[in-house]
Amino acid sequence: MPAPTLNGISRTPARTPRLRVSGRGLWITFLLVPPVVVMALFVIYPIFSALAYAFYDWQGLARGDFVGFANFEKVLFQQPFAATTWNAFKNNIFVFFALMIIQNGLGFILAYALWRDLPGARFHRIAVFLPVVLSTVIIGYVWKLFFHPIFGAVNQLLKAVGLGSLATPWLGDADTALNALIFVNAWAWVGFPTLVFLAGLQRIPSEILDAARMETDSELTLIRRVIWPLIAPSATVCFVLLFIGSFNWFELPYIMVGLDGSPYGNTDVLGLYFYRTAFGNQSAGIQDFGMGSALAVLMFLFIAVVATTWTIYLRKREIEV
Amino acid sequence: MAQLSLRGVRKNFRNVEVLRGIDLEIHDRELVVFVGPSGCGKSTLLRLIAGLDDISEGEFTLNGRSMLNVPPSKRDIAMVFQSYALYPHMNVYENMAFGARLMGLSKDEVQKRIDETAATLQLGPLLQRKPRELSGGQRQRVAIGRALVRKPAVFLLDEPLSNLDAALRSEVRLEIAKLHNDIGGTMIYVTHDQVEAMTLADRIVVLRDGVIEQVGTPRELYETPANAFVGTFIGSPRMSLLKAVRDGDRFGVAGSGAVLLPEAPETGATVTLGIRPDAMALAPAGDADGFEAEFEYAEYLGNEAYIYARLGDGTRISLQGDTKALTHRPGDAVRLRPNPAEIHYFDSETGRSFRRT
Repeated sequence: MPAPTLNGISRTPARTPRLRVSGRGLWITFLLVPPVVVMALFVIYPIFSALAYAFYDWQGLARGDFVGFANFEKVLFQQPFAATTWNAFKNNIFVFFALMIIQNGLGFILAYALWRDLPGARFHRIAVFLPVVLSTVIIGYVWKLFFHPIFGAVNQLLKAVGLGSLATPWLGDADTALNALIFVNAWAWVGFPTLVFLAGLQRIPSEILDAARMETDSELTLIRRVIWPLIAPSATVCFVLLFIGSFNWFELPYIMVGLDGSPYGNTDVLGLYFYRTAFGNQSAGIQDFGMGSALAVLMFLFIAVVATTWTIYLRKREIEV
Repeated sequence: MAQLSLRGVRKNFRNVEVLRGIDLEIHDRELVVFVGPSGCGKSTLLRLIAGLDDISEGEFTLNGRSMLNVPPSKRDIAMVFQSYALYPHMNVYENMAFGARLMGLSKDEVQKRIDETAATLQLGPLLQRKPRELSGGQRQRVAIGRALVRKPAVFLLDEPLSNLDAALRSEVRLEIAKLHNDIGGTMIYVTHDQVEAMTLADRIVVLRDGVIEQVGTPRELYETPANAFVGTFIGSPRMSLLKAVRDGDRFGVAGSGAVLLPEAPETGATVTLGIRPDAMALAPAGDADGFEAEFEYAEYLGNEAYIYARLGDGTRISLQGDTKALTHRPGDAVRLRPNPAEIHYFDSETGRSFRRT
């Protein structure tokens, strides 16, 4: 730094006021740096490192040779890995469509009922949203108990009302396990689309609804032709977030049916398969960080590309009210 | 053909009585304006006629048929809303076609009606546009067009001009008058603006606090108001109300002296005089007749001037004056001479008008 000259005209004194002004900037920097560091360390770095790891051969946690697309080739096309991948992917797709119908569909119906201010709407507005704020771990654990084949509340209830023949080991039966998980997810999360749709409905100007009522007395026409197009922004949010959630599905199946997607992979989804492959588990035995990373990268790309494309498409049909 | 009849119509929202017994007959091809201050129930009454709200008590018939259990879309009534309420996701054509199609009209008929309406309202070039791409005046025309396409028996218009700027307002007002002339339907028009009411209406219904104060032609309301409220509500600048004490034919106002009003009807000893700006004039200088008042200020409008003065008891008076005679300064003492033939006499207690016999 140059020394100040005698007459005071030098770069140093000129800088002093700038430093004083940047006190505010310093404060902003001070506040911004921690979250940026955390983001970089725990979000951006892992994404890029996973991308890198996916191209290496791994022995435990020791990085081996660069193998190009071999890990991708294994998880996508080489048996038995490929079969597991596609099975898990198929389950993800099923989960997505099922939740689209049950969770978002029911969410819309509930939102509509709450919006119409049917008796008890205030109570139900809270009741419907309550499970959303519960921890997935707790929900999974409690419902796992409910589904217990012998002591579970579900089967006990069925027996109590004389429907004992319907009692089944819900989470152990290949026909019901995935459906049971989907049901629990919908139960827990239906409050979210309900709230988003309700917010959308409440934004519709009442005069537009009045104008429509002057032209039709069919509630269905009103919903189909006027209300649904006007809550398109809510639908975009619900659809895209459900898509991302369905293909990232992990916590609930992990807690309720374990890492293997039991029984026999009937509840296996990509999230579970990725976790098993990357970090290993007792039953599978295998652990391959490279393949795990390849799976993670593929999931990321699939979700990112589809979600982006779909969002762009959905946003196009939205209009400003 | 449309004959509307309301008998003993009441409307409550929870514990609040918004309309307290409305009796009204609206004839075919009539343009009736509901006017009144905010909260008087005029928009509520319109919504009851539309069917958007249910009538709490009373009967409403259209061409002799009770409308109480008929949904809005089956009443053969179309409505133009204050905010226009166009469907934002449909273009102009679809906005107009939506209701027409739901009536079960054929595709050709819908097309024909939209073509006609678009020609009447000059909407042709706008048919493919979305409402957000239109100006306020254009949206207004589409909203009217949407109602026209259905060819309803009754048109309801809820403050249709209040979202337009002043210049456009008088233009659209003219268009509505012309439209009513051309299509000849029955129209009910709600406004809080008495100028709109006066210029458009065949008959005006003045409402206050959920009751009808008076029904009549603009001329009837202006010339023979049923009470002081109607007198002050209709006409601009508003009628001045003077609390006077009567002694024979002399009417005195505290602190301003008395004037002789020879043609007065029978009244009590105290009476409220209703004087419109054009029913009183400044007396020439040196003239000893008239109410003593203090000149406050004048509004110069070019062709005329409005003069404001204060009487001895503090009542402010407005009168229409000659621009050339504006020589007074604020604080000057002036004399105001009323024209006896144009004075209205109201009961000081009830506000009801005393009629000349």
